[in-house]
Formats: sequence, C-alpha cells, structure tokens
Amino acid sequence: MNIEIRGLTITIGDKPIVRDVCMDIADGERIGLVGSSGSGKSMIAKALMGLLSDTARVSGSIMAGGRQLIGLDDTAMADLRGRYMGMVFQNPAAALNPVMTVAQQVGLPLYLRYDLSLDERLDRVKAMLDKVGLSQDALLKYPHQLSGGQQQRVGIATALITSPRFIIADEPTTALDSITQRQIVDLLTSLVDDAGASMLFITHDFAVLARATTRCYVLDGGSIAETGTTASLLREPASEPARRLVAAARQLTLSRDGGIGDGDVGSRESMGVESGDRVIMRKDGGDE
Amino acid sequence: MSAARVVMRSMWRKASGKYALIVLGLWVLVSLISLVWTPYALLETDGFHAWASPTAAHPLGTDGVGADVLSWLMAGSRTNLAIASLTVVVAGIFGLALVAAMVSRHTALRSTSVVVVDALISIPTVLIALMLSVPFGASTAVIVAACGFAYGLNLARIVRPAAILAARSQYVESAVWSGASGSRVFVRHIMPNVMPVLLVQLSMSAGTSILAEAGLTYLGVGVGVGVPSWGHSLATSVRFISIYPLTVLWPGLIVTMTVIALHLFGDALRDAIDPLTNPELREAA
Repeated sequence: MNIEIRGLTITIGDKPIVRDVCMDIADGERIGLVGSSGSGKSMIAKALMGLLSDTARVSGSIMAGGRQLIGLDDTAMADLRGRYMGMVFQNPAAALNPVMTVAQQVGLPLYLRYDLSLDERLDRVKAMLDKVGLSQDALLKYPHQLSGGQQQRVGIATALITSPRFIIADEPTTALDSITQRQIVDLLTSLVDDAGASMLFITHDFAVLARATTRCYVLDGGSIAETGTTASLLREPASEPARRLVAAARQLTLSRDGGIGDGDVGSRESMGVESGDRVIMRKDGGDE
Repeated sequence: MSAARVVMRSMWRKASGKYALIVLGLWVLVSLISLVWTPYALLETDGFHAWASPTAAHPLGTDGVGADVLSWLMAGSRTNLAIASLTVVVAGIFGLALVAAMVSRHTALRSTSVVVVDALISIPTVLIALMLSVPFGASTAVIVAACGFAYGLNLARIVRPAAILAARSQYVESAVWSGASGSRVFVRHIMPNVMPVLLVQLSMSAGTSILAEAGLTYLGVGVGVGVPSWGHSLATSVRFISIYPLTVLWPGLIVTMTVIALHLFGDALRDAIDPLTNPELREAA
C-alpha cells in the first residue's frame, strides 16, 4: 500500500508537535523514521493509525492506498486498520494482554475482522506462529511464560496475521538485547518482503535502521530535517540532527565495545552482530 | 488439572483459605438444610422455657418468647446468604458500569462519572437505606439496594486506578488497533486484568453487607418483621445482653466468623488466581 503524507501538522494545546511533514512510502518499500526522543516520531505513527487523542488537532493530508485518512470516522478507520494495516509495538511485554494466551492474542484481529470458524482461525494462527519461528507449544502459553524475543515474535505474528499491506513498527527492538534485536529485525524485514507489504520503521537506533530500511527520514523538533537512502545518511549525514544521531550511535557502539575500532562505527562482532554498519552499508548502498 | 481445581487447592493449602472455605461451605450447607428442615418450626414457641440455657432439646437455648435459637439462626443463614450474594451481584454490576464510564474514551463521560461517584460516595449506607425504607418499607430488597448502591460506588473508586492502568496499556491500544469495540475492550481486555482487585472488593462487600443487615435490622429498617436473619436474632436479644448474654453471643459469633471468612476468602482467592503470585497456576497453564 503506498502512503503519501502532505503538510501533516499536529498540535496539542498551543504546542505544535509535528510541523508540515511530507513523506512518501511506495508499495513494498521499507522506510525508516529516525529522530531523538520527543521529536514527534510516535505522533506521526499515531496519526497514521488514527489513534491520536481527541485533544490533538491535525491538519494536512494522509493518503493510504488512495484513501484520505484524516477526518475518517472511527469505524471506517478501525476497518481499514484491521484489514490493511499491522502494528508492531515497542514493548512486547506491555503490548500483550497478560491474561490472554498466545492463540487468543494472535487470533484476535482475525476474530474481529474476518468471518472465520474457530478451526480456520486456529489453522492460520498455527501457520503464522510457524512463520515467526515459534513452536506450537506456545499456543496456550501466557505472555509471562515467554522470553522478550518470543513475546516480540508473538507481536509480529499478531501484526501480520491479517496479511496487511502496510506495517508500522514503532521501535520494535528497543526493549530487546542486541542479538535478539538482529533476529527480530531480520524476521520482520523478511516477512514484510515476502508479503510485498510496505513498512514504516520507527527507531532512534541507526544500527537497527541500517538493517531494516533502504530509505529514511530524519525527524527533528517535529519537522523533517533530512531524507535519503539509509546508507548515505549513515555515511555522510548532512543536517545537524542527523549528524548528532549518527555520532551518538557510534559513540554508544564504541563504549559498548570497550573502545575498539578507529572512530568509525566499530566492531559489533563482540555482541554477535554482523560486523557493524560498514558491512550493512556495503550490502544496501554500495559503499565500496 | 483444570485451573479451577488448582485455584481451590492453592486456597486450601493456606490456613486462612482453609478457614474461609470451611466456614463458607458450612454456611451454604446450613442454608440449604434450613430450606427443608430446622430442629423446630420457627413459630413454635414454649412460654415456660423462655431465655432457657442450652439443653439437649435446645442446643443453643431459647429466646424471650421461648423459640429455639438454633432454628432461627439456621433459617437466618439463608436470608443472609441471599442478601450477601445479591449485594455482590448488584454492587458488581453497578460498580463495573461506573468503572466503564470512568475509563471511557469520551472525555465528558469520563470526567462527569468521576465527579458523580465522588459526590455520591459521601452518602452513608444507613441513610440510603433509611430513605428507601420510607416508600418501600423495611425489606430484604431495601438492604440489597442500599448496600449494592453504596458498595458499587466504593468498588468503582477502588477498581478505577487498576482499570486506568489497563485502559492506557499497549495491549488495549493493540486491541483497539485491531478494531475491537469499546465494550469489547472493556469486557475482554480491561475486566480480566482488574479481576484480583475486583474479587477482593466484592468479598469485602459480601462481608460488610452482613454487618449492614445486622445494623439496619436493629434500627428497624432491615429485614421485615418475622423474617429470620442473624441481624433479627441479634436485635431481639441485644437489650437483654446483661441478663441473658448467651442469646446475643451465638448470632454475634456467627456474624463475626462469617465476615472474617469472607474477608479471608477474598485475600486467598486473589493470591490463588493471579498467575504472578501463584506458581502452580503458571505450571498448570
């Protein structure tokens, strides 16, 4: 599903949170939205979902698959979401209902939106769990019986069970350790690519961004500071906010790895992550 | 093993849970027996043996008109069981409806309901019962209505913070995202997550309704004339407490034991049904 955002402005009270944002997401494209905390990333995601609180004023235009989302009533929006959009949340432990089993959780969007028998639903849930790499034993488990990575796999299964055309991933790896981060990002991107869906990947972590997206938007203080391919942004960020974010990512990686490397992104092998951003850039953007 | 059996077993294992289950089990059993049999008919009196001490014929003695205290207490247990269960149902439904309004997505409904609950909660249960008894007369229904109303308000206030936490959680956002309606979100996603608080509060309400019955009957706005209840047994003999203390002791003892059992039942149930505090339940799942 292609998404076209034009002049999106979100104001809460007198304070503009998002200012005149324009974004394009083509069919089958994986787009990153990166920015520091409070830059308005999640607000844009909420506007896309139609889940902004009623105190927020929205202007501009969001076209999804040729339909205007701004001003759409709740029922139509819920139907659109349930059928065509999927959401992977930041903290899997909080996004799963503690009193629902994995089967109930993953089957919920199907139950709400599609007229399927229990057996048909169960079959689809089982197939989906298989795709995200969870065993059938997980079906009757509760969230607290799963590890963080397994919980996020359930989150991904819930988001993808209805075969959505557009997926929003709101910092889906922030709550996970670095090895699990890589597994989850790889899983998500391969599933999204297999389905031919488009994805908006929100994060503040450039290393994750490089794995998950081909093109990205840098958000600062509510407006787009820079846009371009993820690889070129990582290599030579032009705007000040992008430079800050890239520098912060490098510093963090260096200090995590005990200061090895030459001032570049540094080695991530020690964390079990494939040789850092340089390799990823080469893969995605032809760095060499 | 089914989850229900695991819960019962976990409750039974704790001394407080065991006490609660035994007392509540006896209560239900005696209520059922009293429907078909009591040692003496309620209206059977023996004027020659008024205020009699316990004997083989009258194990708990007789009251001022020579009626058998045990028979009246047995019959009273079913009235109190009905009052306690109906109060729980009324308070539960009323309280949950208020909670639903308090966590609703509509700002106006949300803020109005909070103000209304805060205002109404200041009216004492006794006053509500007194006001209701003027047009309707003293009856069991008045006790249930007054207790259900007052405890429903209390329940709403106590459950609200837990419900707000659930309503603002990501799993609710995720359910809304999937297209769940407001009522579905409340029943399937919020209610199960406030169950531990709700159950404790409801069992406390059941206990307090027994105390309220006793108090209201003493004031003359409780159960109707001639209806057996523990409060009735207390009210008829409490004036003679200094002369015949035993006739007050029995109903007092039963009320105290039952109220304690209901309170402990709520605590034990909460510990047993929460998978976070009951490892056995986690294993059973």
